Amino acid sequence: MPYNIIVLIKQIPDLELIKVNPSTGEPILDGVPYRFENLSKNAVETAVRIKEKNGGKITAILFGNDKATQVMKEAYAMGVDEGFIITGYQESNPIITARVLSEKIKQIPHDMVILGNQSADSMTGLLPGMVSSLINEPLLSSAVSLEVNNRTAKISSGTEREVLEMEAQMPVVISVAQEINEPRFPPVMQIIAAGRKKINIESSQIKSESMTKLVSRKAPKSDRKRIVFEDVDKGAQEVAKVIKEVAR
Amino acid sequence: MKFMIFSDASDLSKQIMTYLRGKGDFFLYTTEDRPELLSYGATKVTVLKGDQTPESLSSFLSSEFKSNGFDSIFIASSVIGRDVASYLAQSLGLKAVPEIYDVSINGSNVKTKRYGLGGKVVLEEESDAKIFTFIPGISDDNPSGGNSPSESKEIQKGRVTITAVKPKKGREVDLEKASIIVSVGRGLGKKEGIQQIEPFVKMVKGELAGSRPVCLDYKWLSEDRQVGYSGRKVKPKIYIALGISGQIQHIAGMRDSKIVIAVNKDKSAPIFQEADYGIVGDLYQVVPKIMSYL
Ligand SMILES: Cc1cc2nc3c(=O)[nH]c(=O)nc-3n(C[C@H](O)[C@H](O)[C@H](O)COP(=O)(O)OP(=O)(O)OC[C@H]3O[C@@H](n4cnc5c(N)ncnc54)[C@H](O)[C@@H]3O)c2cc1C
Ligand SMILES: Nc1ncnc2c1ncn2[C@@H]1O[C@H](COP(=O)(O)O)[C@@H](O)[C@H]1O
Repeated sequence: MPYNIIVLIKQIPDLELIKVNPSTGEPILDGVPYRFENLSKNAVETAVRIKEKNGGKITAILFGNDKATQVMKEAYAMGVDEGFIITGYQESNPIITARVLSEKIKQIPHDMVILGNQSADSMTGLLPGMVSSLINEPLLSSAVSLEVNNRTAKISSGTEREVLEMEAQMPVVISVAQEINEPRFPPVMQIIAAGRKKINIESSQIKSESMTKLVSRKAPKSDRKRIVFEDVDKGAQEVAKVIKEVAR
Repeated sequence: MKFMIFSDASDLSKQIMTYLRGKGDFFLYTTEDRPELLSYGATKVTVLKGDQTPESLSSFLSSEFKSNGFDSIFIASSVIGRDVASYLAQSLGLKAVPEIYDVSINGSNVKTKRYGLGGKVVLEEESDAKIFTFIPGISDDNPSGGNSPSESKEIQKGRVTITAVKPKKGREVDLEKASIIVSVGRGLGKKEGIQQIEPFVKMVKGELAGSRPVCLDYKWLSEDRQVGYSGRKVKPKIYIALGISGQIQHIAGMRDSKIVIAVNKDKSAPIFQEADYGIVGDLYQVVPKIMSYL
């Protein structure tokens, strides 16, 4: 049975490339490129695997800015059929993001909404429940495996203490955990083809506002010695010395 | 002040209760029926039985919140807790600040601390939020003695049906107390690699830990050995990272280690920025070499 699937994807600054201003401790974000958020990629992979097995259509929604086309093209290359970028994203505020995404979700017929359980940069973990609540569809949360059959979605979910198996009737919201799959690297031909596909860009009607007043945003101090040995033998000797001193 | 706590993880329940003691009255709502939770000074402990899905739990908690006149809600950041928090924020129309590890409340002004940019920065913020999710490590765990009254409540079934529950294995180790930790990453390459590293762990009298892929994706180690933002926060005297790239979410769990040693075959791996001593090389060659000098 074919399914209409919506995936929610996020672009984030490339975290590994963010440098810290040594005198203020503040992160330098200017010029840092955006990339696909980790869990959003797992969400796309989950959707694509369902489509490959059952047929159907995948629509991606991204609340971000006009720099997000690269991420959307990557999503196309992975197997997303249609993409909407909603511009107007200012900063992480789950309440606003959930409202913007839910407004759009409501306009698109769907059986499933798939998203990450906790994004790699802001890590709020609040989006799945908020979206489920706003569109009034049940939530299957933190899936590490997913099966769909006859408009029933069934997942295993790993909580801290237990593995829960649960199911719900579609339409349903499904949040995925990182362990659910290993996202694919699309072949070059697919990436090139994806570059030509139309991306819908709309601007958000909901006014962005801050969730909090920021008092400070600084990297915790790191004063590591950073002594790196390329000579293994010398390094091993030095490291053994350090271990012996502490273990004594 | 009158606080509502929801937690499905007893270690977090204990930390939050220890943290809130002296700041007001607190009521614990938990899915765990554990007698030891009664000795932390809660005004009342309510054990929630029946449906354990976030939607059902939060519809019960939402009406409890309204009928009891609580000031704010503290929720353990767990898989279920984060969802419960978001439902409560929506249904009660209250602001939520997620994933905090520090808070001070002054009337309606709240100061919080949490990580941003994947753990790269600390965000100090002010808000009028009433709902908070807490990550592990906000406080020690000190019972206050005494015996809180307790009751249990049955949660009604919602739209999601739980068809099976399999308990996970309990915790094997207390990584937080280890003085030397040998932590392995994806660079280990294979499960059998663990056996090859074990003699080294023994030799330094350390504990074995791992990055998230090793503990969660490949299950080479048990989950309770995962170090990082969503795992354990550790501060050993020496943290030895073998075949770990050093992504921010991992660093967030070992940043407070006294000395960090890293072995990685990639000279440009970010872990070397977070290390005191680094060796560029194959861990299967470097580890025996270190052992030969111990
Ligand atoms: C919300 C969220 C929470 C997260 N929480 C955590 C967390 O709590 N803990 C955590 O660890 N991760 C966490 N992650 C995942 C994190 O982003 C990284 O994916 C993960 O830390 C990478 O693990 P790794 O270093 O083992 O693997 P990789 O990044 O794949 O690194 C492997 C390294 O091994 C090196 N290597 C390969 N072979 C050898 C060899 N023979 N000898 C020496 N070196 C070798 C490689 O050069 C490479 O640097 C989280 C992610 C998200 C999105
Ligand atoms: N701005 C956004 N646009 C689209 N999807 C998002 C956005 N922010 C978060 N998401 C989705 O929600 C998941 C969880 O994010 P969070 O609740 O912020 O930790 C992510 O993995 C994405 O799938």
